[in-house]
Amino acid sequence: MNQFGVLFRKEWRENLRNYKIFWIPIVFILFGILEPVTNYFLPQLLDSLGNLPEGAVIELPVPQPEEILQAVLGQYQLIGMAILILAYMGSIAGERKSGTATLLYVRPLSFRDYFLSKWLMAGITGVMSVWLGLLAAYYYIFLLFEQVEIISFLQFAGTYSVWILLVITIVLAASAAMPNAGMAAAVSLALVFFMQIADSLLGAYWTFSPMKIPAYAAQWLYGKPDMSDYWWTLALAIAFILALLFFGIWMAKRKASTAKV
Amino acid sequence: MDQSTIVLLLLPILFIQLGLMIFALVDLIKNPNPNGPKWMWAVLIVVVNIIGPILYLVIGRRNY
Repeated sequence: MNQFGVLFRKEWRENLRNYKIFWIPIVFILFGILEPVTNYFLPQLLDSLGNLPEGAVIELPVPQPEEILQAVLGQYQLIGMAILILAYMGSIAGERKSGTATLLYVRPLSFRDYFLSKWLMAGITGVMSVWLGLLAAYYYIFLLFEQVEIISFLQFAGTYSVWILLVITIVLAASAAMPNAGMAAAVSLALVFFMQIADSLLGAYWTFSPMKIPAYAAQWLYGKPDMSDYWWTLALAIAFILALLFFGIWMAKRKASTAKV
Repeated sequence: MDQSTIVLLLLPILFIQLGLMIFALVDLIKNPNPNGPKWMWAVLIVVVNIIGPILYLVIGRRNY
């Protein structure tokens, strides 16, 4: 078997043994279900917990199903991204620290296969979790409200998957470049969250940046984003992913000597 | 929608929450070297809904 296959099997087994492959999807599903349910019970919740004066009447418009799906996306952007980053912050930096890395680095290791096997495993887990979570949300929205058109849902989730892959690539590259897991998490959280804030503050001046992918994904629910902007954004995101992959492989190789024995 | 269907809809949330909590607790008990004091994690997992078990799994487990 080639080296990539062997390393990928190692990653697979590791993710199985530390249960990441189980609990990450479960958490995404939970947040996917919670959003439609809280929206559905909002009037009752306000009634019983809202501390409103006697006889107060609030007319809440019934939210559109697309809006709820977008709210789920908002949850994922905050909690979901933090979970993915924290879960994979140590995949390379932590391995160097714990000593697993020395077992690998003494062998004639192809750092490309080493890095890509980790990337593929994390990517599969991340994208699968998000899809399962969004599908759970979709089903609950269908039961409690109305159906969102399946085609727009698929376009929405497909676009968002590119964003997940970008985040995963950022974490792994940071994990390869930084001396420890905490630093890797700090750098990737800063990149993902501050860049998004910067993009939402100044982003009016440009129409394509990888940070706009979630926004474009949400636009699929209501119709169609501007196609040329959309494709440029996707192309830019894929270019970013490739660049970060090369950077990560290079860094994994360069920093191999920092592994603790 | 009648009452029983709504209860059926809410059951998965309860199961997932309880499942995560029990899973995190069992893992904590078996974990010889968690990241931080064991009793603190136990309290966090039980008291803080949803976020507690997740925090333990991502930070407390040292799974890297």
